[in-house]
Amino acid sequence: MIRSANPFTRMGLAGLCLAGSLLSSAPMNAQIDRSRPPVPGPAPTVQLGSHSSFTLPNGMRVIVVENHKLPLASVQVRFDIPPVAQGDKTGYVDLVGDLLATGTATRSKADIDESVEKLGGFLVTSSDGAYTAGLKKNLPALMTVLKDVVTAPSFPEREFTKAITRYRSGIQQRKDDPDAIAEAVGRAATFGRNHPYGEVMTEKSLNNIAIKHINGYYQRFFRPEKGYLVFVGDITMKEAKKLAKEAFGAWKPAMPPMTIDENGNEIVEGLGTVHYLGQPVTATGLRRVQLVDRPGSAQSVIRVTFPLNLQPKDNRALAAQVMNTILGGGVFNARLMQNLREDKAWTYGAYSSLDADRFNGSFSASVSVRNNVTDSALTEIVKELERMRNEGVTTEELDLAKKYMAGSFARSLEDPRTVARFALNTYLNGLAEDHYATYLQRLDAVTKDDVKAAAEAFLHPDNAVLFVVGDKQEVYNKLVPLSRDVVAPVFELDENGEPWNETLIPVQDRTPEQVIDAYIEAIGGRAAATKLNDVKLVYTTTLGGMDITITQWYGRGGLYRSETRMGDQLLAEEVFDGSRGVRRGQGGEYEVMDAELEDLHFNGMLVPELDLKKFMDQMILGGRIKIADRDAYKVVMTTMNMQSVEDYFHVDTGLRIRRIERKYAQGRPMTITTDYKDHRQVGGVLLPHTVEQAGGPMGIVVLTLKEATVLAKAQPASFFGTGLPPVEE
Amino acid sequence: MRHLTFIPLATMLAAPVAAQTRAINYTEFDLENGLHVILHEDHSTPIVAVSVMYHVGSKNEEKDRRGFAHFFEHLLFEGSENIGRGEFSKYVERAGGVLNANTTGDRTYYYEVLPSNQLELGLWLESERMLHAKVDQKGVDTQREVVKEERRQRYENQPYGTILIEVLKRAYTEHPYQWPTIGFMEDLNAASEADYKAFYKKFYIPNNAVLVVAGDIDPAQAKVLVFKYFSGIPKGEPVKQPMAVEPPLEKEVRDIIYDRIQLPAVVQGYRIPANGTPDFYAVEMVNRLLSNGNASRLNRSLKDEQQKAVYTGAFSLPFEHPGLAILYAIANAGVDAKDLERAMDAELHRIQKEGVGAEEFAKLLAQLETEAIQDNSRVAGVAGNLATAHMLLGNTALVNKELERYLALTPADLQRAAQTYFSTDRRVVLHYLPMNQKPQ
Repeated sequence: MIRSANPFTRMGLAGLCLAGSLLSSAPMNAQIDRSRPPVPGPAPTVQLGSHSSFTLPNGMRVIVVENHKLPLASVQVRFDIPPVAQGDKTGYVDLVGDLLATGTATRSKADIDESVEKLGGFLVTSSDGAYTAGLKKNLPALMTVLKDVVTAPSFPEREFTKAITRYRSGIQQRKDDPDAIAEAVGRAATFGRNHPYGEVMTEKSLNNIAIKHINGYYQRFFRPEKGYLVFVGDITMKEAKKLAKEAFGAWKPAMPPMTIDENGNEIVEGLGTVHYLGQPVTATGLRRVQLVDRPGSAQSVIRVTFPLNLQPKDNRALAAQVMNTILGGGVFNARLMQNLREDKAWTYGAYSSLDADRFNGSFSASVSVRNNVTDSALTEIVKELERMRNEGVTTEELDLAKKYMAGSFARSLEDPRTVARFALNTYLNGLAEDHYATYLQRLDAVTKDDVKAAAEAFLHPDNAVLFVVGDKQEVYNKLVPLSRDVVAPVFELDENGEPWNETLIPVQDRTPEQVIDAYIEAIGGRAAATKLNDVKLVYTTTLGGMDITITQWYGRGGLYRSETRMGDQLLAEEVFDGSRGVRRGQGGEYEVMDAELEDLHFNGMLVPELDLKKFMDQMILGGRIKIADRDAYKVVMTTMNMQSVEDYFHVDTGLRIRRIERKYAQGRPMTITTDYKDHRQVGGVLLPHTVEQAGGPMGIVVLTLKEATVLAKAQPASFFGTGLPPVEE
Repeated sequence: MRHLTFIPLATMLAAPVAAQTRAINYTEFDLENGLHVILHEDHSTPIVAVSVMYHVGSKNEEKDRRGFAHFFEHLLFEGSENIGRGEFSKYVERAGGVLNANTTGDRTYYYEVLPSNQLELGLWLESERMLHAKVDQKGVDTQREVVKEERRQRYENQPYGTILIEVLKRAYTEHPYQWPTIGFMEDLNAASEADYKAFYKKFYIPNNAVLVVAGDIDPAQAKVLVFKYFSGIPKGEPVKQPMAVEPPLEKEVRDIIYDRIQLPAVVQGYRIPANGTPDFYAVEMVNRLLSNGNASRLNRSLKDEQQKAVYTGAFSLPFEHPGLAILYAIANAGVDAKDLERAMDAELHRIQKEGVGAEEFAKLLAQLETEAIQDNSRVAGVAGNLATAHMLLGNTALVNKELERYLALTPADLQRAAQTYFSTDRRVVLHYLPMNQKPQ
């Protein structure tokens, strides 16, 4: 409770000295009942505005919506273009939209920008048309620009080259933007990588695009007989007619030369073979997990998604939208929001969308959650989908969703463009003429049974892709049990949506032993490394806001001791006396045995590479690979206890830059990645002064070597004593 | 005499502008408890916006409770003496409405947009929030975690997501604008029940708020209803706004931020006058000159001609106390941050030295004119503009005068603003660089 009810609350009403004659006649009941919400008056009638329409002789359909509230007007040109798979040239369709306003037969890009902006207007182009808006008085001038970019674009070489550079930068940027990855690769997860809606633009696909593809697409699909011209705002039918005729009346472009191949595909000059979408894809396959690794993520960006055959004209579409509203579509009281945010507090927001689409519909639930609840969030989403299918909805939920949707419908009409959008949708999607006029009536008629039937028809949790962009080290293991795909439970993708694959370049000119020798040479040579003993290293780090110091002593013959302290308080110590080891912490002490002992011995040496044979059962050179933009040799080793160690040595310097250990520690399997940086000399040997470790029990830890001393005198043997009782024979 | 020829030109271009803008009608009055009320009547669509703006934002926070105002905004959806946890939003959505809120450095703003027959519901809800809001422990614990996730989602997990946080902390040393509205997790953890009570008592009072009702209403009836629900709410102690005076930046503050990004970015922060002052509008126009539209200076020069940037931006933080203008650009692949910064500075210097021609100035006015009309095309937007004009600009009438304020400026004002406020010797400059460029 923030503040208790004030007993004087209602006394304020005594002061009726407010100015204004209006109030003097108003009934002033001092006792108002706050305990229940006021009763609403009769619902206002929602007036759906009307549109007019006519067709130009070239087939272009003109839609006009008059609204004279503000002196603003807009014009949209929209072409009805079916989705086309772009294949190895993915990106050219977007380029059509981006380049449309960068040059025409008579204007340069600068001219176009200038002529629009000096009128205070807007011009937006896309791969299926263009839109301009501004003050009514400026509309004729804006129309001439619109006409030019739609009917006479020149796709200049220079602008094409610039756009390609910009797209390339955008693809680079995407690598670090989890939402952008989720958007691009998430669509591939929904529809598949070869579907027109699922293709992902990459640097490679950009290289395959030429201006002829852009021009070919434009010629083939920007056609008046497939075009709509939509006027909205402070304009009369007469004015619209005049402007439409002047701008587009005489536009009769020739079709580009086309042939049909033996499979029935169009081959368009310039563009090449056009791959239209055949049947829509639907939810199939086992529930599976796809993961894009983004190391260091603060959250996992999640989608639960699948494709659908759901068209806007489907008579179940409205019930499906009601169902989605209750599940996660827009309202705060939706189940996903209430469960994942208001009950569990895992996220800022959880949503779902159910897209009815003429060519291919889809479902997607989306949420961003902190790393350690990634699997739980996915589980809850799947549960909510199942619950919706199995149990349907309550009367209260149905009522709220219907009221909310009716309210949204009314609010959307505040924007005059809505009526125009309705008209355009009616034509494009082949809707009944009174589709929107009867919307509220049809909405009101939706029943609980309709909603449950829609859930059964359009929710497919068993076939969903559970898609995650997040830190693999933090989430991978927990994702495995969520997948029903036993062969590849977690399918890894790169940020382009391509199956993640370590690109290893085979190396023939050296052996793994030579790589190790080169490493020893690089840090100072075998002689110096062998000589380096009796060393004390002090590392510092912070954990959970606390400063931690780790002090390590390396003695002759593999003796090792470490102490971890917070201030003066000893948190943990580890000792290896040459044959036995011990760990002491706040939970007590235990003798280190077997694989852990091997690990303590191995990592308790400054340069175990001097005598690797002692530890390693097998050693192979995997090949060359990029690690953080640097070329490295990958050496894979298996220890006597079957633990695996992968070391990555920088090709140029020979230094080790990364180690990945897969081992069993503290009762569970772990994959620990350690990066070594900032190599500096200690007693004639280069040691890393910054060590970053991830995947261990404490998450990501950055250790800084603060102090490195070669001790003048060796520590006595007792210093490395384990204190363990002698082994009984 | 000669320069006079320019002035009529600007005025001429501007003259029809004022004639075209439709004024927003409104009436306003105060309740006895100090609540300021503004009513706006528009019957175009049968909907009504009910909103309350409280004069409390992150600048009213204690130094060790950064983020509290925004956190508190979350808590005030939890319920009241008469509204159970989670019911607040249910009432609105069941009535076919939407609701939300947002917080800035200066104020916290709550609103509902409802079918017009539900006006009374909106007033009941907002008066409950003002009179006796209520939060239980579950609500506090939940919303604290929700806000942390908001921070992760919108700042920490986004490339360049920390720009505002990093600029603010270097641009201010005295004023509470130095911390971001989203705040810091450790401070949110430290907040206790005593904090909530004190904060509510201090700031959520009628004499620190403005109520706006806009849309399909009968103003006389609305006035009665407002009186019914709000006049009984007791007045609180007058709120003292923080008076921290920030000394001017004496030099350039320069830093490098390593982020999980691929393309470097250059961010510049300049201290500017408070929102509503004549020079604030001049600075706004400089921002527009720099990066509003394809033909703007930075976009044309850096993106189009030199191809050094993939994105440029210039905007002001419209603070009640002297705020900031932030200029930024994201480098094209292969372009160095230093090189990008030189190109940005060159454009600034060009304005400072050569000023702005009459034609380009007229373009800015034309853009402003269109936007001013669009800005008030929805009742929810009108409600927000009215509340802001009254509370932060100190005069509701300014809602109809914004364009006039711009029209009062001359090209010479822009040049002077560029010289005065966009000084390359006194600013914050941050280079955002990819993590892998961090020295080993």
